[in-house]
Amino acid sequence: MNFNPCMKHKLVRKTVRLFAETELSPIAHEIDRDARLPMEVLYKMGPLNYFGLQAPKKYGGAAMDSISYAIAVEELSRVCAAVGLCVSVHNSVGLFPILKFGTREQQDRFIPRLASGEYIGAFSLTEANAGSDAGGVETHAVKDGDSYIINGTKIFVTNGGICDLALIFAVADFNHPRQSTSVFMIQKGQAGFSVGEIEDLCGMRANPVSSLFLEDCRVPRSQLLGKVGDGLKIGLAALDAGRIGIAVQALGIAQGAFDAAVKYSKERQQFNKPIASFQTIQNYLADMATWIDAARLLVYRACAVKDSGRPYSAEAAMAKLYCSEMATRVTNMAVQVHGGYGYSKEYDVERYFRDAKVTEIYEGTSEVQRMVISRAVLSKLT
Amino acid sequence: MSDILKLVVCIKQVPAVSELPWDAATGTLKRDLAEGMINPACKHALEAALQLKERHGGRIVVFTMGPPMAEEVLREAMAMGADQGVLLTDRAMAGADTSVTSFTLARAVAGVCPDFDLVMCGNRTIDSETAQVGPQLAEELKIPGAANVHQLTLSGKILRLERLSDNFLETLEMDLPGLVTISTREYFPRYVSMEGIQDTFDKGTILSLGAKDLGLDINLLGSKASPTRILDVYSPTAKKNNVVLKGSPKKIVEELFTRFGDKIGGVIRKDIKKADT
Repeated sequence: MNFNPCMKHKLVRKTVRLFAETELSPIAHEIDRDARLPMEVLYKMGPLNYFGLQAPKKYGGAAMDSISYAIAVEELSRVCAAVGLCVSVHNSVGLFPILKFGTREQQDRFIPRLASGEYIGAFSLTEANAGSDAGGVETHAVKDGDSYIINGTKIFVTNGGICDLALIFAVADFNHPRQSTSVFMIQKGQAGFSVGEIEDLCGMRANPVSSLFLEDCRVPRSQLLGKVGDGLKIGLAALDAGRIGIAVQALGIAQGAFDAAVKYSKERQQFNKPIASFQTIQNYLADMATWIDAARLLVYRACAVKDSGRPYSAEAAMAKLYCSEMATRVTNMAVQVHGGYGYSKEYDVERYFRDAKVTEIYEGTSEVQRMVISRAVLSKLT
Repeated sequence: MSDILKLVVCIKQVPAVSELPWDAATGTLKRDLAEGMINPACKHALEAALQLKERHGGRIVVFTMGPPMAEEVLREAMAMGADQGVLLTDRAMAGADTSVTSFTLARAVAGVCPDFDLVMCGNRTIDSETAQVGPQLAEELKIPGAANVHQLTLSGKILRLERLSDNFLETLEMDLPGLVTISTREYFPRYVSMEGIQDTFDKGTILSLGAKDLGLDINLLGSKASPTRILDVYSPTAKKNNVVLKGSPKKIVEELFTRFGDKIGGVIRKDIKKADT
């Protein structure tokens, strides 16, 4: 067991940190305020393989291991969580399911465009009455010759406002929803497919989270991912990968807030001393550092298990649960270290504080993660 | 000049922080305390080499001298697009001053890439600021050298280059093989792609050479052979020294020009005393 980062992982971190600090840091406040996804930065990320971090090289990806992917998302999120979210979702639940479950034709057709960033991917399971309960999907797919006619509304779709390819979960037979849930790859511009209003959210404001509408949307069979009824299997596999993405995103937010708190505590003077000289602040910093470190080890462990080819649902759920709850604690504490200024938009920590909360909610709430973890615990042979 | 352009870029790993503690006993930086990075000007030199390669074809070999961890900067250079890395690492090479560093680099370049066309270095490093290694390396290799260059154009065997020198823009031509040191004025380094990083670890090769591999006598290397001795190292501090001139206005002005005439004349670009006569 080696806890030292290898040379490659150090270089990935250094490289993405430089990019994030140069390109995103100067605009992170403004794009949050204006709820604007910076397409001009996304265009620069494409040729650097940020949208195909783990896609095979033959499709224009970087074919990296999961820890490299995790470090890249962590470093983007450390500066701008909304862009980190875009990259995380695109790679983990946009591209990865097509790589794992798509036919050769589907992969040839979509993966090069996704890996280059020409297409931005989205994943649409959640509906008004289906969130934690993935079996409650009401979007309906009716077979019509060699096509499917799809009707329904998806909500809270990350990247929804700009997605070029969305994975849409729909049920073919409401008498047997679990056995007939299916995933369709629907392209922007397809008749009957449209984007709703951009949500006005507490955090992650630069990401265009939106509804997606499907009104008699005719989708050829060639855009069905896997078989009819594979939906839950695909969904669970995608969410396992996605949870690593959200875990590292939370980790990045916490690291960003922590770095800001350390810097501020050395600069801010009270009673003629930097506040870092007070034991209370030192205790806060020590707790934050310890939690962040523990979170990082959990998420890298989940990555290593994933790359070994073994099941990693429980490890990914533990990493996601711990990282996200840790991020809300750490960002809260970082605001506290900043005092009144931390509550002001003049400093970044209030943005980190708002951004952190949703990591406990999306891609499976903390309650769902505990469900996954406890199932794994109770199913172990004793 | 051979058919394919052969470029050598010499880079240095420097600490990636603005302040590092000094070891008072040896007068050197405690480098192990900081993460390393490619010295900024060296990165600009590499970018210039990459642009020459993109325009004219060719091959880039990157050299660095340092501890085994300096492999990091070679990997980064290869992820940016260099073709091969050469790491000069040997305990006997440690503590070399600029003169011995350029001697060692010259022997390595001559040994590994004897038919090079152009050697490129950063114009200076942010950790020692001597700006000496590049010009000394040209001397060691017995080739023409030009320092502080910010623009290069290659046509055939002639390299046309631009540099700022004492506020004049100079355009020079140089026959190859030659050496240039590149400033940070142009050639802003590209971002490293993730595919580039993965490729350099999948298939990039690094040649690691010690004194024995280069056939060098260890008595000619490292701190042992370096004539430079660092007597003291300190952080410069800016000091203000206010002077109040008193007396009649005429006396004050006379006193002002007596004491500060050289500085004031410099500002208005003429010698005030001579202008009076």
